[in-house]
Amino acid sequence: MNSMLNNLIALAIGLNLIALGTSRIPSLIRAMSVQGVILGIMPVLMDHHLDWRVIAIAVATVGVKGVAIPHMLNRAMRSANIDRDMEPLIGYVPSLLLGAAGTIAVMVLSRYLPLLPHHSGSLLVPGALASVLTGFILLIGRTKAISQVCGYLILENGIYLFGLLLLESTPLMVEAGILLDLTVAVFVIGIIVDRIQREFDSLDTRKLTALRE
Amino acid sequence: MNPAFLCIAVVCGIGLSFISARSSPKGWIIGTFLSASAGIWLAGIAFLGKHALEWKSAFTVGGQTLHCVLDPLAAWFLVLLCTVGSAGALYSLSYWSENKHPRSAISARRWWTLLTASMGLLLISANGLQFLFAWEVFALAAYFLVTTDRQKRDVRQAGYLYLGASHAATLILFAFFAGIAVHTGTWDLNHLAGHAELAPLFWMALVGFGIKAGIFPLHVWLPSAHANAPSHVSAIMSGVCIKMGIFGLLRFSQWMPVPPQAGWVILTLGVVSSIAGVAFALGQHDLKRLLAYHSVENIGIILLGIGFAFISKANGHAAWGQIAMAGALLHVWNHGLFKSLLFLGAGSVIQACKTRIMSRMGGLWKKMPLTTVFFAIGAAAISGLPPLNGFVSEWLVYLGMLDALTGHGIVAGTAVIPIVALAITGALALACFAKVCGIVFLGAARSEAASNAGESPRSMLTAMAIPAMLCAIIGACPTVFWPLVAPTLSAFNPAWETPIQPESLSTLGSIHLGLWAAAACLGFVMLFSLIRSKRIRRSITWDCGYAQPSVRMQYTAASFASILTSWFFWLLHTVRHEIPPHGPFPAQATVEEHTPETVLEHMVQPVANGILRLSSATRRLQHGRVQSYILYLIIGIIGIALVVGWANPNREQPQNHSSSPYQTVSPQKTDSSISSQPCI
Repeated sequence: MNSMLNNLIALAIGLNLIALGTSRIPSLIRAMSVQGVILGIMPVLMDHHLDWRVIAIAVATVGVKGVAIPHMLNRAMRSANIDRDMEPLIGYVPSLLLGAAGTIAVMVLSRYLPLLPHHSGSLLVPGALASVLTGFILLIGRTKAISQVCGYLILENGIYLFGLLLLESTPLMVEAGILLDLTVAVFVIGIIVDRIQREFDSLDTRKLTALRE
Repeated sequence: MNPAFLCIAVVCGIGLSFISARSSPKGWIIGTFLSASAGIWLAGIAFLGKHALEWKSAFTVGGQTLHCVLDPLAAWFLVLLCTVGSAGALYSLSYWSENKHPRSAISARRWWTLLTASMGLLLISANGLQFLFAWEVFALAAYFLVTTDRQKRDVRQAGYLYLGASHAATLILFAFFAGIAVHTGTWDLNHLAGHAELAPLFWMALVGFGIKAGIFPLHVWLPSAHANAPSHVSAIMSGVCIKMGIFGLLRFSQWMPVPPQAGWVILTLGVVSSIAGVAFALGQHDLKRLLAYHSVENIGIILLGIGFAFISKANGHAAWGQIAMAGALLHVWNHGLFKSLLFLGAGSVIQACKTRIMSRMGGLWKKMPLTTVFFAIGAAAISGLPPLNGFVSEWLVYLGMLDALTGHGIVAGTAVIPIVALAITGALALACFAKVCGIVFLGAARSEAASNAGESPRSMLTAMAIPAMLCAIIGACPTVFWPLVAPTLSAFNPAWETPIQPESLSTLGSIHLGLWAAAACLGFVMLFSLIRSKRIRRSITWDCGYAQPSVRMQYTAASFASILTSWFFWLLHTVRHEIPPHGPFPAQATVEEHTPETVLEHMVQPVANGILRLSSATRRLQHGRVQSYILYLIIGIIGIALVVGWANPNREQPQNHSSSPYQTVSPQKTDSSISSQPCI
């Protein structure tokens, strides 16, 4: 089972790199949503007995991350009439290289972390850190609001991966709360995207500097 | 009388002053005098009693027990505070009355009461936090008094400079007291003598108190604050407030061990302050700025005495140290008295002439005879002329230094330098006050206002008479004050158990008394013969035989001191604008001199500008781009991670409990908290 889990995490890491390398926003959203689905089915595959709690979490995660959020983002993208992040602050190739280097670095780093013995073989921790890193690179490197939302969601996926380590001890309500937070956050960002679009005729967040002070 | 009763009297007096500051100036002055006289009485008990008066509160305020100690050292400064505080208050009654200053008269009275009360609290504080509280209230009250006339731009600027310097001092003192508290575990300041590791903290105290005292390179706030404050405020600032810095230095070398080099550093600062102070004073055209620089000079003289006392304390408590210290202590009083007298006199003159520039005054002796007499007494005293008090204290400092010179070792070898410095200082001070008295009071009036000047009201004259009388009394009977100096000396250094009065002090006293008697006789005889012969006639000041004299032919303040300021050009950087006369019939020729605030403009301001540039450069970090903010966040997180990793290298082996400092506190808790973490 553990190797299956590791394969899935490796897939998620690969999706991270796709998200970093692509210039088209639809493929960014797709990478993000596929990652969400993969993460959603992961708790089912982890080695402990299935109960309704785990299944509920899996279903909710797949539903929200795989379907609802991508749908909202696609709609926002269509209404804003953009499908490319033209002027990234960090170029696609540099960000891809950064992401790859970061992934290798966290792989090495996680060896030195004081993990519990039964977690030490899995890719969970490096995968989680790599996703967080990817999310941060997207947040820092992209200018369009929608790409940044995707970065934020990938960041959250990393946190979710980390949370899988604690699956036994995290109550259902906390998981549900995190999902709810996420949905509301994307919803709010969707509204903000709309507002930015109307105000500045663009989704370029650099123009928000006009609002300072 | 019971000290508790006197304390109640002091508090009642302060309360009365506060309440009646608005409605009745008379009530305010009565309250001030009541608390001042009770304070002097208390100081007398502290001087003559066997033990210091001490009070510890049974309750706590903010976790601190209030702790007050009135020992002879505090009493010494308390007497000065009470005297100058009440003289200045009396002066302000008509100098800063509601009629002349409707906006600020009441607030000036309130701040005055608060200033004097907070300085009193400062003197008796024996708890670090209590001391800092009093120090801060005192600094703020002084700020509001300096900026009493805050409609003027210069006044506001002087106020900002004072506030900045003052808070720099407070910051350093915070570090100083916190350092003490860390080492001793309590803010209470008693019983620090055993802690030899506290000695390096003295340098912090030296800077913190040195800023307040106006020691030479730290004096930058002093000239403008003294010049722009109302004159009674300048009087107490110069007479008492800057002495609080001296008090702090003495207090924390009395209670705390000091590093062995402290005496030499203080001595050096004393030499620098006294010479630089008087040199800058010579270059000033503004009467009050000139007096302010003389404060720097006199602080230098006090430091000379203190420096010798410190050196003696470090070298087997030699007797010359206590004589120099007695001179320094007496000079604290004397400078407080004659400097407040001079500032009060300057206030009257400035009010009459409506300007602070000396070259617009002149001929005021005829218009303001009594003010002139008082100012002349102050000027003679500050120049160290016998038979006045300035001579007594400077002479004691000389005596201590000369005694050290006859001894052995390194002290004897180096004592020559401060002796020469003190002599130069005295000579230059005399030259400077010859300039002031000559330009301001002699000659003919140089402006319309100066020629229409009139004598000050009686309350102002009375206020000037108090310090003038005391200057004369200390000069005439210095031995009377020795019983007060002696306990202060032994309070400062218990090794000087019963300081012996130097024999020559009584000789000096009798010579002074004789001089006074002779002067009085001579005066009476001259007056009597003048009245008898009816030869008193009024005429113009001697005009050097010119057919058509004009007031512009007189010496100006700048031309009088021109030679002396040119000697000190390397220090003063005096700017000279000159159009020299040309040809046999010169049409127009001018010369103008201006002495900048060298330390402020060439040392403090560049540093301040650098800090300002640096801090405005950091504003570029805030530009509104979310992406970069996230980058800052990540850098911050990584930084924290590195710091944590650096601090606890053992974190990777949670099993290794023996190295954890928390282990000893509650092993049970530590174990459970670690085991409850599933990962990391």
